[in-house]
Amino acid sequence: MIKKDLEVLVSLQDIDLMIEETSEVEKLGFSVSGYTELRKAREELAATLSKPMLFRYERLRAKLKRAIVPVKNDICLGCFLRQPTSLGIKGREDEEIFTCENCGRMLYWLD
Amino acid sequence: MNQSELSRYFSEHLFIPQLKAKNKEQAISELLDLFVKEKYIRNREIVLEMLHQREKLGSTGIGKGVAIPHGRTTAASHVLIAFGKSDAGINFDAIDGKPVHLFFMVIAPPNDEGNTYLPILGALVTLLNEKNNRDMLAKVKSFAEFLPIITGE
Repeated sequence: MIKKDLEVLVSLQDIDLMIEETSEVEKLGFSVSGYTELRKAREELAATLSKPMLFRYERLRAKLKRAIVPVKNDICLGCFLRQPTSLGIKGREDEEIFTCENCGRMLYWLD
Repeated sequence: MNQSELSRYFSEHLFIPQLKAKNKEQAISELLDLFVKEKYIRNREIVLEMLHQREKLGSTGIGKGVAIPHGRTTAASHVLIAFGKSDAGINFDAIDGKPVHLFFMVIAPPNDEGNTYLPILGALVTLLNEKNNRDMLAKVKSFAEFLPIITGE
């Protein structure tokens, strides 16, 4: 179920973004007392992915900071390059995970 | 970020003068549904999951009757803020244990133009630290009454 993989990857990246900005939000006065619990939830979610998929995600994240980016109006919001309309049709319907031909990030269609 | 800049992220479509929610879960859902209804968000479940994970990190109920549920999600394309008010107050596991009356839900994409997400959170915290602002917001009944308090006019 590759489509499910994409949803897991989106949730994983959402948690990673949260972890990344923990100290900043703490400085603003928000409680971050559940940091260890959140890290645990992150590891549990990551464990549901196949090793090659997790490796792909981690490698992209290390290289490009954001491994998955939204696509809106056929624009990759990672590098702002227009994606072929045909890719959008497939990306919304197919179970395959597509990447931006320009920046290499995985794509998640919003519309 | 000043108050005038902050006000640009609010919209009448993302405003609830009286929340129906009776608990934390319902409050998060009711505010999130505004984004879904306005088609700012397509995959509700993914964003709901992110908001739940955020509450796991620590309650976004910052005390004094205020909660700012927030987070970045790959399922959003730009920063938006929804506002909701509960006169009765809702138990949100706030840091001071008091019921929450004012809710500001901030949803941001993974990387936003101009990196406005953290400055927006900061500006909201600063605005809501002022008792006078909280008291005025607690009385608003319409977006027309609400916006001038945000802009500080």
